[in-house]
Amino acid sequence: MSTLHLLSHSPFGDDRLNSCLRLLSPGDGLLLCGEAVQALRPGSQPRRQLDALPDDIALHALDEDLLARGLTEQLPARLQRLDYPAFVACSLAFDKVNSWL
Amino acid sequence: MKFAIALFAPPQAPSSRRALRFAEAVLAGGHEIVRLFFYQDAVQHASAALVCAQDETDIAAQWIRFIQDNQLDSVVCIAAALRRGVLDAGEAQRHGGRPAVVEQPQWALSGLGQLHEAAQLADRLICFGGP
Amino acid sequence: MAKSLLLICRQSPWAGPPAREALDIALAGGAFELPLALLFLDDGVFQLVADQNPSALEQKDLQANLRALPLFGVDQLYVCQRSLAERGLNADSLVLPAHPLDEAGLRALIAEHDQSVTL
Repeated sequence: MSTLHLLSHSPFGDDRLNSCLRLLSPGDGLLLCGEAVQALRPGSQPRRQLDALPDDIALHALDEDLLARGLTEQLPARLQRLDYPAFVACSLAFDKVNSWL
Repeated sequence: MKFAIALFAPPQAPSSRRALRFAEAVLAGGHEIVRLFFYQDAVQHASAALVCAQDETDIAAQWIRFIQDNQLDSVVCIAAALRRGVLDAGEAQRHGGRPAVVEQPQWALSGLGQLHEAAQLADRLICFGGP
Repeated sequence: MAKSLLLICRQSPWAGPPAREALDIALAGGAFELPLALLFLDDGVFQLVADQNPSALEQKDLQANLRALPLFGVDQLYVCQRSLAERGLNADSLVLPAHPLDEAGLRALIAEHDQSVTL
């Protein structure tokens, strides 16, 4: 069964993203929202980790969180930016959603 | 499709607003919410004593309107609520006449069994919390 | 058929209510005889360390709740080998029979459950 991992904590000074990345299976997805979108900062270690993800891991981010933080340039080409209807659709595209609270 | 939505953060947390916008999109997309479950600090949403500054978005009030308008089943975990001083009239009396802060009728104080039941009934369990 | 739930516990028992409140979810599910598994990950492995003394902090003993899990039918307990090793802990000296898993094992565990949440 495929899992969409939902992250909202900053990757800096927190090990949720690191732990999550180790537990991804082919066909899983990552959805970054809240402070987790900071992981997309160009030039950062978390960004390098995300860029190194295999093609069979889908990468998504909640668009309002990118806009709020001025993270609109130099985003990964593979990143799918989601509004809320797309967020709902995304949650149904995977067999389950695992939130990293 | 049926969704069970659980919230673990208080109204001031960005994840509360995010959960609400997600819930709105669920219904707008023609899906069903079988239950909203409020756990840990999210029990604060049920407190009528919350005061939101005039220049801030009152997410707690928006949640109440959303629940009322859509007649959603919204359960607050009773153990988490008691621990955090979020009591309805019944619990307030049961615990030696403490103040009751849960006033709106749509909040049901109940147990974690309600979370499990919702998860069993739903096609998706989605939890929100943190920032 | 009942949906299976995996609870991934990342919180130390010493960091406030979340560890205990995660366990309460497990106990409630067990009471309803639902198929549940627990995975202790990151600081969550501290819940399993022996010879701790919550009374030194006037706290309740979380391990009493942990030991109650099998009585509630929750006996699928797992622990991340890497999290243990990072913290200088050994799978042999834990207070509960949690099955240690490497990362491949953890991925399989997550994939096989109908639902999961990381607390």
